[in-house]
Amino acid sequence: MSFQRRNFIKLSSLSLLLSACGSGQIQGQIDGSLQSLSEEPTASFEQLLFSTQRLAPEFKASEVDLGTNLGNTYEDILPNPDLAAYRLTVGGLVKRPQSLSLAQIKALPYKSEIIRQVCVEGWSKIVQWGGLPMVELLKLVEPTPEVRYIFFRSLDGFTNNQGELYGYYETWDLASCIHPQTLLVYEHNGEPISQVRGAPLRLASPIKLGYKNIKFVQEIMLLKEMPQQVGYWEDQGYEWYGGL
Amino acid sequence: MTTATPKSNARKPPVPKQDLAIKVFHWVNIISLFALMGSGLRIYNANPVFGGRGGWTFPTELTLGVGLAGARHWHFFFMWFFGLNLLWYGIYILFTKRWKNRYVSSSDVKVLREGNNPKRKNYAYHRLVYTLFIPLLLLAVLTGLGMWKPVQFGWIVALFGSWQALRVVHFFSIPAVLFLLIFHSLLALKVGEWRLVRSIFA
Repeated sequence: MSFQRRNFIKLSSLSLLLSACGSGQIQGQIDGSLQSLSEEPTASFEQLLFSTQRLAPEFKASEVDLGTNLGNTYEDILPNPDLAAYRLTVGGLVKRPQSLSLAQIKALPYKSEIIRQVCVEGWSKIVQWGGLPMVELLKLVEPTPEVRYIFFRSLDGFTNNQGELYGYYETWDLASCIHPQTLLVYEHNGEPISQVRGAPLRLASPIKLGYKNIKFVQEIMLLKEMPQQVGYWEDQGYEWYGGL
Repeated sequence: MTTATPKSNARKPPVPKQDLAIKVFHWVNIISLFALMGSGLRIYNANPVFGGRGGWTFPTELTLGVGLAGARHWHFFFMWFFGLNLLWYGIYILFTKRWKNRYVSSSDVKVLREGNNPKRKNYAYHRLVYTLFIPLLLLAVLTGLGMWKPVQFGWIVALFGSWQALRVVHFFSIPAVLFLLIFHSLLALKVGEWRLVRSIFA
């Protein structure tokens, strides 16, 4: 009998512990501790697995998923720039900073790919992307040897508490930008990219989760250190590396 | 009354002795499995495997982690404990040659088919159920690895045929684990009573 009673006490203290875990505040603290303990070693392991030579599988045109309208856009206002005045600026630790018009971007090398795009939510979708390989842009600007990270900023689409506008932002590791399937996209499923998908220019790659693929890109900065503000979702608790 | 106690103690079968390795394995396994299942259900809710957006979701009380971001931190923290625990345990049963006689064998199958000793039959069922855990847990690791790193392990996605198949199989590891866990616990109690279960954890 004493055995059973002890088991009962053990079980009830376990359930008490579990219900304590259920309260939001404690859970949030646990989430944060687990992230700080595991995110960096996990990302290091992922970077060890990663190779710029290993390509994501590509698919046939007939496999493109045109039926499901899955996607995420969180901007308060969809950026709708004057395309004639639009410039992509590329700066930071580069030998030849650039300010490129859409016509200049389209005159640079073009690549089309049909790949699986994977969302952090769990769904995936086969899509066609067409645009400028990121590595070609890097060749053009000639990064200095100390570059480790690349910071991207979108056209303004969010409004903060003070009513000021700001853009989506993201930071990538250099190796993922050099990967041949990482593109600055202006074509989606054979058509010029639509506003909601990130026109005039967005980042897209099969090697990263969807939230890394920033839309409405207007500024690219090559950096030595990770910036203070890493990315729109990362600053709300999501992991930084997001590699597939 | 005073003489009855030592007498009944003398009749009790001895408490089974378990290796420390088995105890550590069971503790790490059960804690990480529940952490993975709880956070897995929260990840499921972000985009239900069945029904997609707008599909039925699990009550938050059953899940672990605040939001998708938090649940992913739980999942990617405990996956290391779960995966590495299985790995060293695999090496351990290989080197100690436990794989030869600790798992379900043809003799158990024979007992289940033709035997009429109920105790030996229960033991055979017990060995069958806990042996089934091995392929199940390895399948959960494989499908998880395929969804976490579909580019680095593209062959896993190819093996399962489609992304949805991978998600479905990974999800079904939860009911399968719970199902086996119930039978594993009940059979352990039947075969060795509470003293066997206790010897595995303490």
